[in-house]
Amino acid sequence: MNDKFEPNIVAFLCNWCSYAGADLAGTSRIQYPANLNIIRVMCTGRVNPLFVLNAFQQGADGVLVSGCHPGDCHYMEGNYYARRRFTLMRELLEYVGVDPRRFHMSWVSASEGAKWKEVVEEVVENAKAVGPFDQFRRNKINW
Amino acid sequence: MVDLDKLRTVAKETVSRDDVKYLIGWSQGTFGYRVSPHFVKTPQEVDSLTFSPLCSNNLATYLTLTEKLPVPRGEEPDTRKVALMVKGCDSRAVVQQLIEQGITREQVYIIGCPCQGVVDLQKVDEKLGEGVEPAQASWENGQISFQLPDGKTEAFPREDVLADKCITCRYPNPVLSDILLWDEVEVWGSDDYEDVKELDSKSPEEKWAFWQDKFSSCIRCYSCRNVCPMCYCEDCILDRLNPTWMFRSNNVVENTAFQVARAFHLAGRCIECGECERVCPVDIPLMKINRKLYKEVREKYEFEPGLDPESKPLQASYRPDDEEDFIL
Repeated sequence: MNDKFEPNIVAFLCNWCSYAGADLAGTSRIQYPANLNIIRVMCTGRVNPLFVLNAFQQGADGVLVSGCHPGDCHYMEGNYYARRRFTLMRELLEYVGVDPRRFHMSWVSASEGAKWKEVVEEVVENAKAVGPFDQFRRNKINW
Repeated sequence: MVDLDKLRTVAKETVSRDDVKYLIGWSQGTFGYRVSPHFVKTPQEVDSLTFSPLCSNNLATYLTLTEKLPVPRGEEPDTRKVALMVKGCDSRAVVQQLIEQGITREQVYIIGCPCQGVVDLQKVDEKLGEGVEPAQASWENGQISFQLPDGKTEAFPREDVLADKCITCRYPNPVLSDILLWDEVEVWGSDDYEDVKELDSKSPEEKWAFWQDKFSSCIRCYSCRNVCPMCYCEDCILDRLNPTWMFRSNNVVENTAFQVARAFHLAGRCIECGECERVCPVDIPLMKINRKLYKEVREKYEFEPGLDPESKPLQASYRPDDEEDFIL
């Protein structure tokens, strides 16, 4: 694979844990790859699995969904629902031939700046290993 | 065994009831081996009702397709029941709709028809040639015999002409019914998801190539959605333009996104009636995707849709100890 390839990764972070965790990583001056396009959502339970499809179609090479640890959800149970949804979505994407290394989910709490770095590094590494995902890009519409 | 007299007597009694709006059953079609859905509104019409190995239509779809007209001021809404003839798989569709509260139990009167498997018309056409004149079929001790228009009778072993979903069927008897028309049949099928496992063991590139080949022929007719008893959202993402969840362009990328979204919306809800695959005009093996999710749901969450009306929908419930191997 081309060494210079820098993947586009869309990350859906929950406002209460992972977004704060990423913020902590920043304020602690932890260095981590800059390939992430972070989208803040109020809860992982708010992330429609179709967002993942849309992200891939609009140019993402990898998608990360990150939220509070089970039991720590600000809304009590949002991440439990998300866990079921994305487990199934991941199986389905894998079945139609999307490399499983393109889609990740993680639990990162507000105090885990160091874990956030590790997660991002792994996600970026995986996306680099599988390369660009051009075959699922939405065709440009010429009006 | 199938008892058409009993079926018609029960149908007549049911339609005559004051609290029944109409009855949905099957009747002889006008072309080849086709059977068409039949809406019976008066007791005089029941004689055309039939039940045979050709009755593959899942009539549970019609429960939620009914047009809901606004009630004129001063009038009471029509709360009469709809009587519905169901095979095993159809009854599971009704149960799943009950689970999701798409319908209520008071709205339906379920007439259960234990079923010995319906035929796949493509397999029949291969054996007998595409029929034009109406023909009939019946189950006869392990065989399915066809009464052809020219008076001849041809019989085939069940395995040769049954639809794929019926060969692996584990619920031939209605799981929920108000009245059973005849004795329950013996369960013959078991399902080990061999075809799903085989495809699943391939590499991502091979799987991608396989599905791209299939999805590239999709013409976006949405038959699979329209026929599906589980696809009854009034506001479907496919019809919605703002926000545009699904683009309507007919190219392989958008087709893939559409098929993935369609399959995902049936995760933990598909009851394997196989209607989507039957109606697909370009023969995309849709059940192969649906069965993958069915298998995962069954293995991971020990849940099977459409069995217990009291259970909660899979994706609207959770267990704190759900599997999470892949989560970082």
